[in-house]
Amino acid sequence: MLRFSARGRADNRLSPVFRAIRRSKAGFASPVVRKLVAGTAVLVAGICALAVMAAAVGPYNIPFSHTLAGLLGALGMGQGATARSEQAIIETIRLPRIVLALGVGAALATAGASMQGLFRNPMADPGIIGVSAGGALGAVLAIATGAAAAMSLALPGMAFAGAAGALLLVYLIAAAGGRFSIAALLLSGVAVSAFLGAIVSAIVIFTNSQQAQREMVFWLAGGLDSTGWEDVRIALPLIGAGVVVMIVFARDLNLLLVSEEDARALGVRVGLVRNVLLVCAALVTGTAVAFSGTIAFVGLVVPHALRLVVGADNRVLLPLSALGGALFLLAADTVARTAASPAEVRVGIITALAGAPLFALLLIRHKARAGAL
Amino acid sequence: MKDALLRAEGVSVMLGGTPVLRGVTLAARRGEIVGLTGPNGSGKSTLLRALAGLQKPYEGGIWLGGEALGSTAPSARARQIAFMPQSAERHPFTVLETVLMGRYPHLGRFELEGRRDRDIALEVMRRAGVEEFAGRQIDTLSGGERQRVLLARALAQQADVLLLDEPTAALDLKHRLLVMDAVREEAAARDVAVIAAMHDLSLAGRYCDRLLLMDAGRIISAGAPDEVLTPENLRAAFGVETVIEPDSVTGRPQVTLLGASGISGTAVGQAGGEGPRRMGEGVRVHVICGAGSGRDLMHQLVSAGYTVTSCVLGQGDTDRETAERLKVEFVPSPPFSAVSDVEHTLHLKLVEAADFVVLCDMAVGRNNLPNLHAAAGARRLLIVDGRPFSELDYTGGDAALAFEPLVHQGRRVARPDVLRTLARGSG
Repeated sequence: MLRFSARGRADNRLSPVFRAIRRSKAGFASPVVRKLVAGTAVLVAGICALAVMAAAVGPYNIPFSHTLAGLLGALGMGQGATARSEQAIIETIRLPRIVLALGVGAALATAGASMQGLFRNPMADPGIIGVSAGGALGAVLAIATGAAAAMSLALPGMAFAGAAGALLLVYLIAAAGGRFSIAALLLSGVAVSAFLGAIVSAIVIFTNSQQAQREMVFWLAGGLDSTGWEDVRIALPLIGAGVVVMIVFARDLNLLLVSEEDARALGVRVGLVRNVLLVCAALVTGTAVAFSGTIAFVGLVVPHALRLVVGADNRVLLPLSALGGALFLLAADTVARTAASPAEVRVGIITALAGAPLFALLLIRHKARAGAL
Repeated sequence: MKDALLRAEGVSVMLGGTPVLRGVTLAARRGEIVGLTGPNGSGKSTLLRALAGLQKPYEGGIWLGGEALGSTAPSARARQIAFMPQSAERHPFTVLETVLMGRYPHLGRFELEGRRDRDIALEVMRRAGVEEFAGRQIDTLSGGERQRVLLARALAQQADVLLLDEPTAALDLKHRLLVMDAVREEAAARDVAVIAAMHDLSLAGRYCDRLLLMDAGRIISAGAPDEVLTPENLRAAFGVETVIEPDSVTGRPQVTLLGASGISGTAVGQAGGEGPRRMGEGVRVHVICGAGSGRDLMHQLVSAGYTVTSCVLGQGDTDRETAERLKVEFVPSPPFSAVSDVEHTLHLKLVEAADFVVLCDMAVGRNNLPNLHAAAGARRLLIVDGRPFSELDYTGGDAALAFEPLVHQGRRVARPDVLRTLARGSG
């Protein structure tokens, strides 16, 4: 009885979309809808709570009530925080960083989930097609040549170009031997990543300036520091577009995960879908890498954890991965900012330190299922 | 006769530079089950993939209704043609999720499965016998269970054409019948054209309205099962010796395998090549038996390549039926009558011509006593050491009298050792 009424309330609150779906299917709520609604509710609530907390804590702690008012003020509601300095900290320093963390987390986790489906391989991560390595090379070159110091957008620009170039190279190598296959793409991605990684290492070692070297190592460890609204304005539309398109193709991804042959038999234009997913994954990962460096494990651990809870259906998994990735990276970045305050730990170190044991734990507790996506 | 729903004309397919299909022409009408059979590598799977639009022919065309298959949009094609692949991949989806994938072609891009889709999925899962697994992950099912899930998914597509690539390959006996019953029901109830590659010839003979026998990328025989399933066709395509008779219950052709032919038929690359020389080639063995005592032995000898002859066998004798089916030469006599002088003389000629004579542990009565006498004329005699002769003698001692000297003349061999003894003796 209690459950029933609770359900009825949820219906009213989530109208009109939810009601329309229920009505159109004659009272039948697809499990996809049920999982999406429940998952979205939980994750969005988590993100909101965490965002308020993240805006409040830091080298300068702001009381929660002030933070809430400040955030609302930033959204154009109410008068803002009581103190102007507090409002400035929230609006110009913490909020852009929070938004970018959410965007980058969403990008990495969605791209990771897509690549795991496309390659039918649980170990696939967003960087599997060489994008991370290419981005790293671009960034390291930008620092080495001094371009990064001369122009504020030179580093993300060159990192993005490096990511795009790497994808192109991986694709050309995979397509060169005649028949194109997903397996060839995977191998080509591994080869290109290893090759570019070696070049990056060489550049870091042979850079004379200690300052530049430090910057490179910092960038490679991944971080969201010194994020401004300018970064958000560039990164967010690119990430948003890529994530939405990947979600649109989630159903086709389901079939590709079964097998390419089955997908084709069930009417999927396999080549088209594959290319769209590759380009979108590269776009969002390249953007993420360009603005935040290489951040490990988000694309691996978030989709796997969610899969254990909501199952393998990508129509549920991709949207929830976007939210889950956002939540995970925001949490990691908040820890990175505050754990050794006033110093900062690189966020890539936190994600790996937290993500790897979490991943291992999932593996141990769900051995049978974790092995096969 | 209804018009063909799916039609292929002169379809040729190359895979990696090798011709796999060479000008295949076929048509499938609504409501009929067409069986594709033929040896491994004869092109059955490739033909099905071409018909499903998964493999472009380099020559020839395929039409669905009146439209060329190549110009149909993939999603529209998937609403009309359901393809069940041979191997069921492992993946992390549940059974219900997998079967619902059969509904994807019917949904708009942003549409989710509704109640109707779910009802269809549950219904086809029931027919494929997988509804009890609904919530289980595919990874946790056995190979045969996964194959039935694939059938359910294909049925859920509710297409007009159902293409099945060896739908019963991984199934146990009960589920072979269950699955083929479901296929036949689908063909009849929804007026679907079914084309199925089948390895089990008896199952193909039982369920298919028409059969196409393929070898080396061509259709070498087409027609009703009893027209296609002939010993000559099967020898040419598979290189096996068979006996084909109407099943006593269904009347459909029942295929019994005797063994592999010496020379493998028309397979590409070794046409006319010599097969391995077989044990019994050029050796004549005469089997004296009766009432089923020599049935199994005659079959084994024929399979091993021996030239087999048998004794005087009355009509109705089970050994005689076997001899007729195996085309073993014997001396026929009327039912339940004593061996005549003429018959006995003919029998002696067969005995004399044989390199070996094998005397089975048959019951001996007045009627067939001369068969026992004839054994004395053997060049080399093997006596099957089965039941004690005292139990077999229904003549009041006359047979025992005839048997006694044979024991000294021949060699007693246990039944399982007969072939080995023959092989050593003729080597």
